[in-house]
Amino acid sequence: MPKQIEINAELSPNLIPMVDIMFLLLLFLMISADMGQRELEDVILPKAIVVKQDNPELVKDATGERLTINVYHVTQLGGKSVLSCPVYERHDVCREESHWRIGIKGRDYVDMNLFQAFLEKEAAPFRQNKDPNNKNISERKVMIRADASAPFGLPQKAMNVCARVGMYKIDVGAALVLGKDDGKKRP
Amino acid sequence: MAGSQNIGEASDNPVAINITAMVDVIFCLCLFFMCSLKFKQLEGKIETWLPKDRGVLTTPPPKIVLEEIRVFMRWVDGQTITKVGNRAPVKSDTELMQIILQMSNDFKKLGKADFPVLIDALPEVPWRDVIHVLDLCKVEKLERIEFAAPMEMAPKAGGQ
Repeated sequence: MPKQIEINAELSPNLIPMVDIMFLLLLFLMISADMGQRELEDVILPKAIVVKQDNPELVKDATGERLTINVYHVTQLGGKSVLSCPVYERHDVCREESHWRIGIKGRDYVDMNLFQAFLEKEAAPFRQNKDPNNKNISERKVMIRADASAPFGLPQKAMNVCARVGMYKIDVGAALVLGKDDGKKRP
Repeated sequence: MAGSQNIGEASDNPVAINITAMVDVIFCLCLFFMCSLKFKQLEGKIETWLPKDRGVLTTPPPKIVLEEIRVFMRWVDGQTITKVGNRAPVKSDTELMQIILQMSNDFKKLGKADFPVLIDALPEVPWRDVIHVLDLCKVEKLERIEFAAPMEMAPKAGGQ
């Protein structure tokens, strides 16, 4: 009669390589997570062909850090659903005035006088008085990042206020069209 | 023999650590970061510097520009209607650019090189449509593109 062999061994998988991989994955996700302040609001930028690559590293030069003015829809406030707007969620054009905001550095401005006062403060240190005809000129750069479906009136207001405080170096944010034909058709 | 044993064998560590709880925590952290992960779209910029000598920056302009290509944009029934000057609304981008380039050539023939393309859009027009016209003009190397100032600014300044 053959002898029955009794196996009495505990099977325990080696978890150490898995823990190593998990740590690497965790590290990647933590680094790529956007923990910055709301300098850049969540917007869908309009697409354009003539878009210059924007290098945030080069933006900070002698004329200081570039200011970013965001024009955005409020339902997108960092995942917090403030308002439910089915029109915007369908990627249609929402024309409800109360749904749109102009914001800088995480602060919204509804009152244009307050907005102008803020920009005035930001523009003041960069007035070099090079132009004798216009001493109001400020060399501070501004980027207007407006959502593609935002009403033109809001970026227009922002431009107007910039002009009043003497900021003329204005760029507008746009996303690059990947296929050249995408930009040829009328929306 | 201790030297021939594999690294991490149980005999190396007399005190066994239960890493199951740690794995659980790491899984939770991974889940959180994976849920909050969002890939950014590639962003760029279009330079739209404002003129320093005209618009709301100064008092009324010293030189009144009579020659201009004015692109009107209106928002009617959920659609943007675009027309150049007092012409009929355009039906396509090609038609729009044909008119603009024809006017541009006419100005050049008359020896007038200093003419702007003025985008006169109503506040309700979607920003993307305005940027689209701006983009089309930039593609055709029309560098002097301006935005019309809002109504309340009109008596003070003709354009930005």
